[in-house]
Amino acid sequence: MAIFQRISWRLVALLGITLAFHAARASEETRASPDTRASPDTRASPDTRASPAGICDDATFLRRISQDLVGRQPLPLEIDAFLSDASPTKRAAAIHRLLADPEWASTWAKYFRDVILYRRTDDRAVYMAKPLEAFLTDQLHAGQSWSHIAREMITATGAASEHGQTAIIMAQMGETSDIAAEVSRIFMGIQIQCAQCHDHFTDRWKRHQFHQFAAFFPRVEIDRSPGHGADGYTVVSRDRDPRRNKKKPDNPRRGDLEHTMPDLHDPSQPGTVMQPLFFLTGQSLPLGTSDRDRRQAIAKWITARDNPWFARALINRLWAELVGDGFYRGVDDMGPDRTAQSPEILDELSQAFADSGHDVRGTFRAIMASDEYQHASLSRANPKREGFAANCPQRLRSDQLFTQILAAVGVDESQVGNGPSGKRAKKQQSKKSVGTQAGRRQLNVPRAMFTQVFGYDPSLPREEIVGSIPQALLLMNSQPLSIAIDGNRRFTALGQLLAANKSNREVTEQVYLRALARSPTADEMKTCLDHVQSSENREEGFEDVFWALLNSVEFVYRK
Amino acid sequence: MRSYYGTRRHLLRMLSAVGVSGALGWGNAVSLHAADLRKRGKACILLWMQGGPSQFETFSPLEGHANGGGTRAISTTVAGMQFAEYWPQAARVADRLAVIRSMTSKEGSHPRASYFMHTGYLPNPSARHPTLGSIVASQCASHLGGTTGDLPPVVRIGSRGRNDSGAGILGMQWDPFELRDAEHNPANTQPMVETDRHLRRLDLMEKLDRGFAKALPQEAADHSALYKRATRMIFSDGMRAFDIQDEPQSVRAEYGEGGFASGCLLARRLIESGVSFVEVVSNGWDTHQDNASQVEKLSGGVDRPFAAMVRDLERRGMLDDTLVIWMGEFGRTPQVNPRGGRDHFPRSFNAVLAGGGVKGGQVIGRTDTAGIEVTDRPVTIPDLFATFCKSLSIDPTVENMSPSGRPIKLVDGGKAVADLF
Repeated sequence: MAIFQRISWRLVALLGITLAFHAARASEETRASPDTRASPDTRASPDTRASPAGICDDATFLRRISQDLVGRQPLPLEIDAFLSDASPTKRAAAIHRLLADPEWASTWAKYFRDVILYRRTDDRAVYMAKPLEAFLTDQLHAGQSWSHIAREMITATGAASEHGQTAIIMAQMGETSDIAAEVSRIFMGIQIQCAQCHDHFTDRWKRHQFHQFAAFFPRVEIDRSPGHGADGYTVVSRDRDPRRNKKKPDNPRRGDLEHTMPDLHDPSQPGTVMQPLFFLTGQSLPLGTSDRDRRQAIAKWITARDNPWFARALINRLWAELVGDGFYRGVDDMGPDRTAQSPEILDELSQAFADSGHDVRGTFRAIMASDEYQHASLSRANPKREGFAANCPQRLRSDQLFTQILAAVGVDESQVGNGPSGKRAKKQQSKKSVGTQAGRRQLNVPRAMFTQVFGYDPSLPREEIVGSIPQALLLMNSQPLSIAIDGNRRFTALGQLLAANKSNREVTEQVYLRALARSPTADEMKTCLDHVQSSENREEGFEDVFWALLNSVEFVYRK
Repeated sequence: MRSYYGTRRHLLRMLSAVGVSGALGWGNAVSLHAADLRKRGKACILLWMQGGPSQFETFSPLEGHANGGGTRAISTTVAGMQFAEYWPQAARVADRLAVIRSMTSKEGSHPRASYFMHTGYLPNPSARHPTLGSIVASQCASHLGGTTGDLPPVVRIGSRGRNDSGAGILGMQWDPFELRDAEHNPANTQPMVETDRHLRRLDLMEKLDRGFAKALPQEAADHSALYKRATRMIFSDGMRAFDIQDEPQSVRAEYGEGGFASGCLLARRLIESGVSFVEVVSNGWDTHQDNASQVEKLSGGVDRPFAAMVRDLERRGMLDDTLVIWMGEFGRTPQVNPRGGRDHFPRSFNAVLAGGGVKGGQVIGRTDTAGIEVTDRPVTIPDLFATFCKSLSIDPTVENMSPSGRPIKLVDGGKAVADLF
């Protein structure tokens, strides 16, 4: 068997970890509950687990799991219920409840949509956003395994607008090498495309290994003839003679049934025909194999239970998203020649994930039950976080922030409309280019417009994601938000609070719960009450308080 | 309890005194006058012809040949240098323009070619390459110690929400600041409440952030710096640059009418105010049918403002330090198709440069008489980017890191066209 197994599995054996996934699931009830470890509120400091941060408090915990699982802060009623719940297993129960919420599936569908579409090489693929999100939401909600989802995407065919699983192929517009690169990056965390033009500089991969891998995908084609679905793009298998005029001038071999590795010294030469061979296991197929058989074979081999990189890729990604850093620094840049931090945790989780048949919900449960996840946060740059000793504040992703704003101001997404109407929209609809048209329409919905300002590629190192001026301007000065916090209107959450004959203290408390999912401290309460007192009128004063909280740093971070 | 700073002047003093860290990119040189910036830094204006402009109906006419499409050639102020008949104003400033007639590429799909012409690289899923605008802005700003004044360093006008022109691996602080058009204020720059109250809100926000700042100081400091910079921008004098109504009627008349004319005028005003890079987009050049009549109409909207902007920059002493680029993603087929259109043709096409030290009044390269093959001095896209770098005193070998840790040069190979300087 391949070398990677020796490295990590021996470690697992040495540590004697045989924890099965159902065991992780069973133990989570106890691991996450205060009856086996001191309750965070009663625990004597210093922390016995030597974490400088300790376990986070209940309010922080609820806000964190809500943002992480359903993409928004908890609502005031949820907070009340959770804080007053005396059950020792309430943390595990809350995780369980949110994982069953349809919003969990849609939140993570959006995350993986971004993983795929931010690496598109062709902007026409933006119109895959909707079908891809729909596909992933359905799969995740139905509890489909990660291996099932991966196989669906790797072997996808059909009309793109109806088959979101074609998104990886569409994002790369059917380019053989780019599809291979993305399949390896997304599902195995191995950036073998670095070996496309030369042997990899730091890892073991040779140039021919990349091209052998690419040889699983040369017969994937995007058919652009109209009549195949609303948007005219269909992913098809092309197992017959290449049609004329399909060759692109920059790649004279495109249109051939087999993948060729270009001759680096003389690109005008035909290059070397490559036989499909999987670089991790050596499994191969003969030349001439049909597209369907090629893709089914590689999908099966990649998602095999004994391919540790398939399991690790998702564990590393989710751990990075939930705890703050991955075991490997790049969420999608791992491989046998890289060093992981805390490899024993990675291997324990990956093994359990594989043993469970790649159960996605179970992975969330296992990670979120860990102390590493439940630690309080320290700034990303703080060296005391070493060895996952603290969680890490994460800037909310665009979709989380948008959902969270709607929840704070009490507006349902179906109420915010579908973008511009009237003359300009009609003019846009009359445009001829069908493919980009649908994409452009999608871009005009408020959430997508928000994403144009706040979106980022979730695979990038998180420390590189910084705020931008247009983001600050949108939160400070946009008209819809300004209306949404208007204290004089009866349809706004603030207007209703102010009209309900509550004291300033009560309104402040409610506004804090809505925006930050916690009560104000005594100092903060005083600052807010003083501000309201000194304002022209009560409505203005509370609009300012609400505005300040929606614009606060705390609002845009998950702690 | 009123806030202690109630006026705009106080605010500006407060914001500049705080010493905003330069890490996020927009700098804090409130005191640096725009003219100082210009003296020390270079700037660039890209006039982008979205869709791929026909070379034969613009700056490479083929009058007399079947592939010329019946378009006449007209004389310019430079002997022997002819433009297509739809460019009479450009013809009058031909001595400032350098026309490259030997652009050549292999990329004939709009999104990929557009990416190629904006970044100098073909798209690749492992890294988003920085676009010219972000390269120019980040490099020019680094000459200036990381400052570009109060305004955003890169502005793009009229791109209709296409998202193909970001800063990629350079980071989103160099992403273009998008304007739908030049005739309206940029989005969300008008405070929703009166100034005093806006400042009171910021004051309150700062106070309420203190608790978070104690626990997570870095995140809070970055956030605060960002809000100060955004606030300084919308209250700065520089914002007046966005108001083209401010411009004397005579100047507006010189630029002519239409969205592109407003965009060119705004581009000049922004460069004058310290912005490093402005892209002005003209849409609709994908003329698969009725090419000649469509290009005639499109040229009518671009010719006058293009020429007026070059003259205006020169009059103001800005042309030497401002590179003006006219181009699209590729050219169009020499043979006119049965619908009277021309299709995509990257094999040979054209681009025009002015200012930025480029010697005007000359033609670089040539094609065969049928307008098909480049026969003299082929200029590849990396060559063109190397040329941009030379004009703007940017070192093309500067490397940035891709997410996977691969160094990526600003320009991958390519040689600047020496005859242009």
